[in-house]
Amino acid sequence: MRPAQAIHNWQMDQKADPNMPEQKPQYVSAFRALSRYVRPHIVSFSLVFLFTIIAILSDLLQPYLMKIAIDDNLLAGRNDYQGLLLICAAYFALSASSFLFTYLQNNLLQRIGQSIVGLIRKQLFSHILRLSMRYFDRMSSGSLITHISSDTEALNQFFNQVLLSLFRDGLTLILIIAMMFHLDSQLALYCLVLLPVISLIAIGFRSFMRTTYQLARTRLSRMVAFVAENLSGMNLVQAFHQQREQEKQFNERNGLYFQANVREIRTNILFGRTFDVLSNLSIAFVTWVGGNAVLGDHLAFGVLYAFITYIRQFFQPINTITQQWNTLQSATVAISRIWTVFESEPDVKDPKKAAEDWNEQDVRGRIEFDHISFAYEPDVPIIRNLQLTIAPGEMIGVVGTTGAGKSSLISLLCRFYDVQEGAIRIDGFDVRHIPQASLHRMVGLVQQDPYLYSGSIIDNVRLFDESISREEVIAACEFVGASTVIQKLIGGYDTKLSERGSGLSSGERQLISFARIIVFKPKVLILDEASANLDSQTEQLIQSALHAVSRNRTTIVIAHRLSTIQQADRILVMSKGQIVEEGTHSQLVEAGGHYQELYENSK
Amino acid sequence: MKSTKLIKSFFLTTWPIYSLSLFLHFVSNWINVNFPKVLGRFTDQLQLGSLTHDKVVSFSLLLLAIGIGHVLFNGGAMYLVMYVGRKFEFHVRGQLFHHFTQMSERFYSSNGVGRLLSYFMNDVTAVRESISMGFNATANATMLLAAAVAMMITSGIPLYLIGASVFPLLLIPFIVVYLGPIIRKRSLAVQESLGRMTELAEEQFGGVRVTKKFAAEDVMEQRFNASVDEIRRNQLLLVKVSSFFQALIPYLGTIALITALAFGGYLAIHGRITLGNFVALTLYVRLLMNPLQQIGNVVNSIQRSRASLERLNGLLTQRSEIIESDYAREVNLSTAVLRIRNLTFAYNPTSQPVLQNVQLTLKPGSTLGIIGRTGSGKTTLMKLLLRMYDPPESSILFGNTDIRDMTLESLRSQIAYVPQDGFLFSTTIRENIAFHNRSAKLCTVKTAAKQAQIYDNIVDLPSRFDTRLGERGLTLSGGQRQRTSLARGLIKNAPLLILDDSVSAVDTVTEKEIIRTIRKERAGKTTIIIAHRISAIKHADVILVLDEGAIVQKGTHEELLRAPGLYAELHAIQEEGQQHATGTGYS
Repeated sequence: MRPAQAIHNWQMDQKADPNMPEQKPQYVSAFRALSRYVRPHIVSFSLVFLFTIIAILSDLLQPYLMKIAIDDNLLAGRNDYQGLLLICAAYFALSASSFLFTYLQNNLLQRIGQSIVGLIRKQLFSHILRLSMRYFDRMSSGSLITHISSDTEALNQFFNQVLLSLFRDGLTLILIIAMMFHLDSQLALYCLVLLPVISLIAIGFRSFMRTTYQLARTRLSRMVAFVAENLSGMNLVQAFHQQREQEKQFNERNGLYFQANVREIRTNILFGRTFDVLSNLSIAFVTWVGGNAVLGDHLAFGVLYAFITYIRQFFQPINTITQQWNTLQSATVAISRIWTVFESEPDVKDPKKAAEDWNEQDVRGRIEFDHISFAYEPDVPIIRNLQLTIAPGEMIGVVGTTGAGKSSLISLLCRFYDVQEGAIRIDGFDVRHIPQASLHRMVGLVQQDPYLYSGSIIDNVRLFDESISREEVIAACEFVGASTVIQKLIGGYDTKLSERGSGLSSGERQLISFARIIVFKPKVLILDEASANLDSQTEQLIQSALHAVSRNRTTIVIAHRLSTIQQADRILVMSKGQIVEEGTHSQLVEAGGHYQELYENSK
Repeated sequence: MKSTKLIKSFFLTTWPIYSLSLFLHFVSNWINVNFPKVLGRFTDQLQLGSLTHDKVVSFSLLLLAIGIGHVLFNGGAMYLVMYVGRKFEFHVRGQLFHHFTQMSERFYSSNGVGRLLSYFMNDVTAVRESISMGFNATANATMLLAAAVAMMITSGIPLYLIGASVFPLLLIPFIVVYLGPIIRKRSLAVQESLGRMTELAEEQFGGVRVTKKFAAEDVMEQRFNASVDEIRRNQLLLVKVSSFFQALIPYLGTIALITALAFGGYLAIHGRITLGNFVALTLYVRLLMNPLQQIGNVVNSIQRSRASLERLNGLLTQRSEIIESDYAREVNLSTAVLRIRNLTFAYNPTSQPVLQNVQLTLKPGSTLGIIGRTGSGKTTLMKLLLRMYDPPESSILFGNTDIRDMTLESLRSQIAYVPQDGFLFSTTIRENIAFHNRSAKLCTVKTAAKQAQIYDNIVDLPSRFDTRLGERGLTLSGGQRQRTSLARGLIKNAPLLILDDSVSAVDTVTEKEIIRTIRKERAGKTTIIIAHRISAIKHADVILVLDEGAIVQKGTHEELLRAPGLYAELHAIQEEGQQHATGTGYS
């Protein structure tokens, strides 16, 4: 196995969902699904087929031409050199066309394969992106990435290798057999007996080889994982003075991998050599049977020569085709996995017909939660019969323990999920009757962990939307107080960021997500614990950004720290999916309830 | 040349095996080239009419014997070399890992894990391939070529005929050498564009909430589609060269065959060579095609592996900057006073100092608290105490001994270090906690877990202390990881304990409990606590306030509160910020 592949596998293993069930390949349904994509290329496929035949003809006709040369020109004693030259010319023409058509066939097949794989990749990505949040909760993002990159790559290999080999080697095999029958059907029949024997041995060996290969692969990824982990934790290993112990453990893994490799070498050589011995055995066999026939004048010598050459060519395609078996299997599994994704429908769908008088521009931001109930799983209610009305421009603070339903409330308002009972209305419109894109533009959300894309700061603020000008972005950054931080960076506003290692502190990243809000101008703003995890100085910066952003907007702030929400127009205390207390900070402290207890506790 | 060092020592020990393999290759090919000759003789006898049924049988058996003999010797020769190749890989990886364990943090901060892993995997494999597969292919091809030419000459095929027929084949290696790197470069481009697409998908699915929330699906889709199109473009570029290559090699083969047919046929017709020789010649040409193609591959792989070998040797000759001095001695940290004198430290001579003129004396048995913003130099100070980096001479002393004159074992085995990130290994929880001594008794592990307030979480896990973590195992939350890492430090019961912001992800209630336990367990032993929150260090005997690498304030909690300054400021902000709404924030 290629080592780069090993590292890749290790990375994939880390992402992959360990609970993903092993799938059995289901050939029929998988290829029926694929056929929809193949159909538009049917003409190209026929061309590939034609090209392949022309391409392999020259290789296959060579022994036949030699046979003619030997029997008709050399052995016949006619000393017909012109005839021989004619054969040479024919052969040259054949090989030149073979050269051309091999090239064309390869390119055309790749072109088809790449178009299909590319199309599936795009459709798959677009489909996944439009599935609802419930789907993303259920699937680990690792397994989704596996679908997009590994599974489609397996599909690509199917076109690159399996199909190519089926075309080329399959046709070669068939034509060789045809040739042999044409030359001498009796001798050909004898040779045909070999076919099942060779195939059986090849298939048997393959499955044996696969187990040794997999053993080596598992041990290799175990070793890679161990080394990768120790490299990242080397400061600990050294601080605890455990170099010797870790080295011992490494040597164990290294040794196991070595043993697996030796086993693999042995199997490989054994397999290769067995095949060679078989090939030699059949040559000896043909020489024996054919030689006797030639002696009895049943057979021309040239035919025997051609047979011997054909028998030698016989083994290569069989070997290659059996090699494709594993690729075919993994491609089939990949196809079924991809189609399972295609079959999943979003839980949350756009209304068939949007509310008629809905107009994004006129929204004032009045929010109603009308006796809503919601649960992720049937038996575990998260929100029970909650009733709440928020006036336009009002600032609401929400507190409560983990699991009280604060974040679920927000997810429902954004319609990541649908309520099971009741309704959520914005300016009197049920969210289920508003087109999702429109709803999402109108309700802005800032979360605890700001998410950054790989790209410049400008693009991160405007989310790659070129219709938003650079000046607008810079103004937004100035508005939230991010500009001083950004100007300190070497690249300024064009500094490339990435999700990992962006060089920004979490507070600075949060400022960027505030700037997004300014740029996209939502009518309703939600902050979901947006200032947790920050050190004290940064939090103050965020606080003032919050003031800037919440002006003239309906704002809902979920907070960990009471200080964040003390100035809210109204504070809600949630517990077990219900609102248990409601009022301003001073009202609630006076009331002496749950809030007052929290307040005292935190002093 | 330096870069041959690794290889040289390897060949010095394995040359008998290589010689044996070379010998076997020779025998195998010598047998192999008899095949066309025998078939040629068969043809001649047939033409002369001297063939009998008995002779047919013996010819068949002879061909079989040649086939099997060739296969056996060839298999043996290949096995030997591949085996030693893997042995080489095994040894070099062992050497590399050992080397990794010796290198200091400076090395790790300038080489990322990915890069080191690529040395470890790709470079080692590249070298192994050229010394095993490369050797096999070269030995096989040269032996075959030599034996075939010798055989053709001895059987009376004229030299000029051989030359004319074999010449097109000799072009094959050159073409491989020329096209090989191009193919490789383009296939790397395909890999890279695939990687970019994966990264993009990863990013999109990670940030799907943001994408959905801003209704940016269409824009994101365009970005993704561009990466898909790039793969397609690169793949088609690759197939253009690779299919040209794939078509060209057999084409040269057929050119050689046509030459043999035209020229050899002419000579055969005019009786200058026998028909048998003519048949043999065509068979030789076929025989030589594959090995010559392999030679080209070998040249390419040797070129690649030479660069790999240089990288590996370069890596192995790098020395750690942290070296035990010849007269290094042991110091008992439980009685030695820690003294830091005029410590100024920069990671690079050219860069800004991270620590400036730090002065400190810490009596054994006392507790030191350190507070300061991110980047104020707290962690750097701890790394110097562990000698992850070398401090300037005589700036850090334990008793009267410079830290640089202590044995590393004595220093590090007496310090328990609990880092902020709570890094755990993919092994059982028990082994993680008992990291300093894997054979520690379960009851001591349990005690440490209880002290770090992680015991209750662990006994809820499926296999309790034997639960495997990470890498297809269980993952713990940030707070749980920190507490497990804390247990790993506490179990060591070391004379000096360093907590480097080790309870930052733990909620306030648990934090209080942990600090109480530490005060009890660490009575009479030295403890250094770094924290963001004042609550974690206010009990310390001395508190340092660090700002931009310098100690700006020093004193007890009460003293510092009374004095105006950063500490009092932080306290004011945090008292407000401390008003946590919940007690269950992270657990």
